[in-house]
Amino acid sequence: MTGKLIRVGALLLLLVVGLRNAASAAGSMNISQELDADYVYVGGASTRGAGMNIGSIDENSADVKYVISPQITKDLLLRFGFEWQGFFFGVPDHAPVPDRLEQVSAVLGFDYQVADQWLMRAEVQPGIYSDFHDVQWDDADAPLVLGAAYLADDDLQWFFGLRVDARAQYPVLPAAGVRWKFSDEWTLNFVLPNPRLEFDATERLQFYFGAGLEAGTYRVGESFGSDHGQPKLDNAVVDYLEIRIGPGCTWKVSPNVTVEAGAGYMPYRSWDFFDPNIVFRSHNTAYGQVACHARF
Amino acid sequence: MRRSCHCGCLLCALSLAALVAAPLPAQEPIEALKSFSDFQKIDLNRLLAGDILTERGSLMNFPNGISVQTCFAVPSTAEQTAKRLQSWNPSTYADLKVYALRSLHTPCELADFQALDFNSSQHPIRWLLDKTAATTATKSDLNLTRDEAKALTGCMEQHSEPKKANECWTKLLFDRASRFQQKGLAGILPYEISGNTTSPGAQLRSMLLEQLQITREFARLLKRIGLLGNEATPSLTPAYYWTLFDANHHATLALGAVYLLAAGDHYQLADVGYYVSNDYYTSATLYDVWPIQVGEKTGALVWRGDFFAAPMLAYTKGTERIAYGALMLQDIKKEVRCMQDSLKAKQ
Repeated sequence: MTGKLIRVGALLLLLVVGLRNAASAAGSMNISQELDADYVYVGGASTRGAGMNIGSIDENSADVKYVISPQITKDLLLRFGFEWQGFFFGVPDHAPVPDRLEQVSAVLGFDYQVADQWLMRAEVQPGIYSDFHDVQWDDADAPLVLGAAYLADDDLQWFFGLRVDARAQYPVLPAAGVRWKFSDEWTLNFVLPNPRLEFDATERLQFYFGAGLEAGTYRVGESFGSDHGQPKLDNAVVDYLEIRIGPGCTWKVSPNVTVEAGAGYMPYRSWDFFDPNIVFRSHNTAYGQVACHARF
Repeated sequence: MRRSCHCGCLLCALSLAALVAAPLPAQEPIEALKSFSDFQKIDLNRLLAGDILTERGSLMNFPNGISVQTCFAVPSTAEQTAKRLQSWNPSTYADLKVYALRSLHTPCELADFQALDFNSSQHPIRWLLDKTAATTATKSDLNLTRDEAKALTGCMEQHSEPKKANECWTKLLFDRASRFQQKGLAGILPYEISGNTTSPGAQLRSMLLEQLQITREFARLLKRIGLLGNEATPSLTPAYYWTLFDANHHATLALGAVYLLAAGDHYQLADVGYYVSNDYYTSATLYDVWPIQVGEKTGALVWRGDFFAAPMLAYTKGTERIAYGALMLQDIKKEVRCMQDSLKAKQ
């Protein structure tokens, strides 16, 4: 597992370097870049479903997202990039739970200032969302995220979002959030997928308590079900959901690089094969997380 | 002969004054405004009813700079409006988070700063007090020269007493204001202690030179205050001030000068922030004020351009930069609204 993560990491690093060089070559065009990476370990959690006790499943997951944004007009930015996200589960032999779920996708979208106080984002991520045992065309998907932000003032901003994924059990999911700096040190940053209450200890160090939400829709292999004693799960679509709650801290290493560490409690996780209506659920375990965010 | 000449000159001056004061047909100021600003659709009726036009400036090549433009009208003569803009005090409006703003004498006196008060439980003021106390001869988060950092360190003696901070900052601001009054922009000391040496004057010039149409419109004024051209000392006498306000939840001290020039049929102003203690480097606000008449209504049409240079802007890119500009525009719109109320109230 570690070797695979290192190989994927090296490949992504090469891609980032390549895209950055392309960005430099673009000369005077205003270009911004975002790089977000995180790694999470979730301890063993008892898992049940389909009338079975699967046993304890632990998890390693990682996510790397890189986006380059050329500014086309004063109000319009395009977004190009890629994302790789992988969940790797320590599944007991023959348990009908995928041992990994991965996303390899492009990022295509734009940000636009619609009005004085309104910004919008549209982003589609076409790619492969699969357990990567036998990748086929029907593993391809293109979820769309539409978002809008209302900038009331420096201290208060409202967010509205819509996730559209035709393959998911609920193809359209709305969301709303708020960022409210209600005192000089405290901010309620209630925005999915990481709603938080933040405390600025210094200009560089911030503590937070919040939640993390991981959600995605994937297709498993053609013989996944048959190989695990559940033929109904062959080539099935699974909605994966994971909720984490806990404290953490972020440290601004430099004005454009932030590192983050957190730990806490994972109360709930599910693999929902909604078409044959088979759901596996894990409860109550600990997790630890590290992340890095860079803006250039 | 002498008398007739005098009368001739007097008549000439009177006719010029009348020309300056008389409201212009509406089309002329609109065309003038369109020629250099980002506003191409201007409805004077709506502006006179209280509307404020806003436009975020284009992204600059200068990495630390950001600009916004606003346009509004007030039911007052252009001359009165220009004079009131020169002496406007925002500290009476709580929403604007200006703790104090005071005029300076020419030459300035230590007593001009007696309203400076660090004795407050407000977090932003405590923050500036802490940063002042934490300043050493070689390190500070504040905008200081090395000599100022040394002087501040010696003055504070590692204490964070508000009274001591009042004294130390009074001395520092007095020295900076005196230099500026004597030498103009050439007298501005650079910021050295937080890393790279930064000259507020150079930052202002870099920002303005990217806005060629605006610079052309304000060329006479900018030359006379030394921001453009080779004029070493300004040939206009401004209204000097110091202020303490909240910027990004940090109390910030600033020194500024507001220049006013009657430019033919209209008035131009430049409010130059030649020293800022923290969070940003410098700022300039330019105003163009025209007399207008729409039907029976007369008033003044005001174009305002705000230019800010801040270190964090170099790292604020993409959507964050757009959002930053949009939020800055909200702040300035709020200020313009207060300014309009104040100008109306004095009618």
